[in-house]
Amino acid sequence: MTEHNDIIQVDHLNLWYGDSIALRDVTMGMPDRQVTALIGPSGCGKSTLIRCLNRMNDLVDICRIQGAVNFHNKNIYANDVDPVEIRRKIGMVFQRPNPFPKTVYENVAYGPRVHGVEDRKQLDAIVEKSLRSAALWDEVKDRLHDSAMGLSGGQQQRLCIARTLAVEPEVILMDEPCSALDPIAAAKIESLIEELKTEYSVVIVTHNMQQASRVSDHTGFMYMGELVEFGTTRQIFEKPHETLTENYITGRFG
Amino acid sequence: MADKFHDEIITLRGDVVHMARFGRDMLNDSITALQLQDLEMARAVKTRKITLQEQHDALEDRIFTMIALYQPVARDLRTLVCSLMIVQATERIGRYGKDIANATRHLADTDTTGNFISIPHMSELVVEMIDDAIIAYEGEDLTKIEGMSKRDDVVDSLRTSIFRECLTYMMEDPRTITRCTHYVMISRFLERSGDHACKMAEKVNYMVTGERIEIK
Repeated sequence: MTEHNDIIQVDHLNLWYGDSIALRDVTMGMPDRQVTALIGPSGCGKSTLIRCLNRMNDLVDICRIQGAVNFHNKNIYANDVDPVEIRRKIGMVFQRPNPFPKTVYENVAYGPRVHGVEDRKQLDAIVEKSLRSAALWDEVKDRLHDSAMGLSGGQQQRLCIARTLAVEPEVILMDEPCSALDPIAAAKIESLIEELKTEYSVVIVTHNMQQASRVSDHTGFMYMGELVEFGTTRQIFEKPHETLTENYITGRFG
Repeated sequence: MADKFHDEIITLRGDVVHMARFGRDMLNDSITALQLQDLEMARAVKTRKITLQEQHDALEDRIFTMIALYQPVARDLRTLVCSLMIVQATERIGRYGKDIANATRHLADTDTTGNFISIPHMSELVVEMIDDAIIAYEGEDLTKIEGMSKRDDVVDSLRTSIFRECLTYMMEDPRTITRCTHYVMISRFLERSGDHACKMAEKVNYMVTGERIEIK
């Protein structure tokens, strides 16, 4: 595997919700234009960690953070960093598809508009490009002005990905993006992830270990708020170094 | 579900060991039949080929099914891969036993030449190698396979010396040609069986440690 520089580096990150600690001294790198998967049992901290990567945890009052998340070698928690700008560059797709109750077109055009794009032609181009990148264009090009709520679950999820792509992020975070989808829709998202990594870096949290092993280049196994092991996906699934990782991925606990 | 799978692996390993010993016995008994010039015993080895094949097919099928149904990873996957390899290797070993038993049919009514040369000794070494590979698999005991490469070297040199010795016999007395040609073939079968033992040892090492090694 060729060497990829880390686009995001998590550096000795600790996180507390009130008095309870949710992340313990996590240090890891997310390689540029690669897919990094985070796996682990429920409550291990993987969702908390992925939310730290674009400051989603800012919205949680009782959340306290120590350590750094460096994006292009700059700590995104530094005082002079605008979280809105961070969230544009580091987009997020959630477990349940959450399109806005608007048309397909407006869902995708919303972000660019917020960021100041007003020219109709330019918006049209962004919408088409984003929908194409999300492998949805052919399915919705004749119903751009219908409500997004009329799309299937899998289509809605790809619409959410298109919405994220519309603001030209560098990193896409996905928190269980397939767990509310049927296997066919999930397979489409998986092949989409494969295509996305030519242009974007992807970090995905998943309960589904087969999915992690299929889509990712690197895998981190988390347990009780700690990153137990991080390595190439092949190494983790063929020859994990840690007994804990071995026991988890072979289904001996979790 | 994971527990059911792990129970199935334990049962599978027991059955793989059983088949491996079945194959080893075919090889071992074929050499005994040769030494004793016992046609009846040789014939019995030959008929065991059917059971061997049945065990091979059934185990292979079971392993494929387990991979398809459970999509194992890490040690579980390595165990299944190693088990598959052992099933295949011991099937080959058992078949060499059958081939040797076949040859015995042509040899039983003629005089022995040079007291079978070094074939019984070579066979002993090879069967021990196979035994140790099976024990290593059974108990995940890598100490059993530590000296495998050196042992295989001895087996290889025995094959060369059997070949040379047979050549001198054949040159001295052309009536020994049939018998000695069979000896050369048999030594080749034994040498290949030793190679299979090495392959098994390599895979057992992979199963236990995840590291690939080469034994030659």
